Amino acid sequence: MRLGRGREKKGQFIIIAALMMAIMIISISSIIYSAVTYFKHERWEEYVVLIDSIKTGTSRVVEISLANYTQTLTNTILSSNLDRWSNDVKQAYAGFGVILTYTLRQGTVQAYGVSINYNIGLNYTWYKSTSFSAANTSASLSLASAGLTGYNFTSSAFLKETILAAKYYDSANPKYLSKYLSIYLSIEKEDLIPITNLKKDNFALKVDGSDVPSADLSFSRYFSGTYSMFIYEIRYSVTSKPTGVSVTATDTRSIRVIANSTVI
Amino acid sequence: MRTEKSRGKGRKGQMRIIEALLASFLILFAIAFVNLFALTPTSQTYEASELEKVGFNVLHDLDEQSLLERYIQYREWANFTAALTVSLPTDVYFNLTVYDLNWRVVNTAAPISYGTAQVFSSSFVASVVYIVPGYQGVYSPKILVLQLVRG
Repeated sequence: MRLGRGREKKGQFIIIAALMMAIMIISISSIIYSAVTYFKHERWEEYVVLIDSIKTGTSRVVEISLANYTQTLTNTILSSNLDRWSNDVKQAYAGFGVILTYTLRQGTVQAYGVSINYNIGLNYTWYKSTSFSAANTSASLSLASAGLTGYNFTSSAFLKETILAAKYYDSANPKYLSKYLSIYLSIEKEDLIPITNLKKDNFALKVDGSDVPSADLSFSRYFSGTYSMFIYEIRYSVTSKPTGVSVTATDTRSIRVIANSTVI
Repeated sequence: MRTEKSRGKGRKGQMRIIEALLASFLILFAIAFVNLFALTPTSQTYEASELEKVGFNVLHDLDEQSLLERYIQYREWANFTAALTVSLPTDVYFNLTVYDLNWRVVNTAAPISYGTAQVFSSSFVASVVYIVPGYQGVYSPKILVLQLVRG
């Protein structure tokens, strides 16, 4: 009886010991594997950082071009800037043999909850309650020094303005002390990320087609429980109920968008 | 009698396994502990390429946050110096020069550097080139050349 119990205990112990040994062997083999493959990956790291910097730069060029397009409406600006960028990148990283080619997006694309009709990589759809400016290009990168060819990526820039409501408050209603107009709007960028850092200077208001001086506006930004999103509120004192408003928003990248709405 | 003997042998076997395990753990701990104090020899090529990676990453991080173009556009050289000082390891000295596409120096009035000129006469200087396309609707590329030395 006692002999049997001893044997059982020995069996359990061997299993525990085997498990611990297995853990040790696995740990050691992972260290050995990373040591062996370190230099295999290491030689690529320099190129990975270079590729990342060219991707970021290309995105910046697309943003710059969209900003310029929304200010000047020059529709060749994206292709012109990308041509220059391809050339400048080749010169700046001379030893790497950088070849950057691009294809501008053409046609209608459903993205960010809207239908974007690209023409040579650019589109603006303004003067609606939901307005937007967009740019998109596909690029292909080759690095002759690394033997890398055809690394494809997409760069895009997007800015959407939505006038959620333009409301007139009349002092005839005892709830309100004066007559004023309140415009509630949201601003979003790529991947519908809300832009929350805009200031009064980033907005320009037109009421019934007339410009309103920035000094006459009162401005606030907050998370709205009504709309369940971060919104901007622009308030302006009026003498009577206006018909329509137009709000121009310019983000920190200088991309512009203009949205219109009727006053309720 | 035979039963007692075989039980003794069994315990002896268990003890051997425990000893072997303890010995293995002891060796592992010793290796890990010694590694903390190990001074790996520096090779000129390896050190420079490590610094190049660090420099590239720092510039890329600043670019991702849209800070690089702002510093250059508004000539915020003091802020640029502060950002590099904070982002790079404390024992790394740097000297950054901003060029236009014709290789004319843009930051002539204010050097963006940390460390004396003698530091950069060392043979362990790593050099990183980075290009920034422009800012706020204006395509005006600038080439950044960042030199790094470990102190």
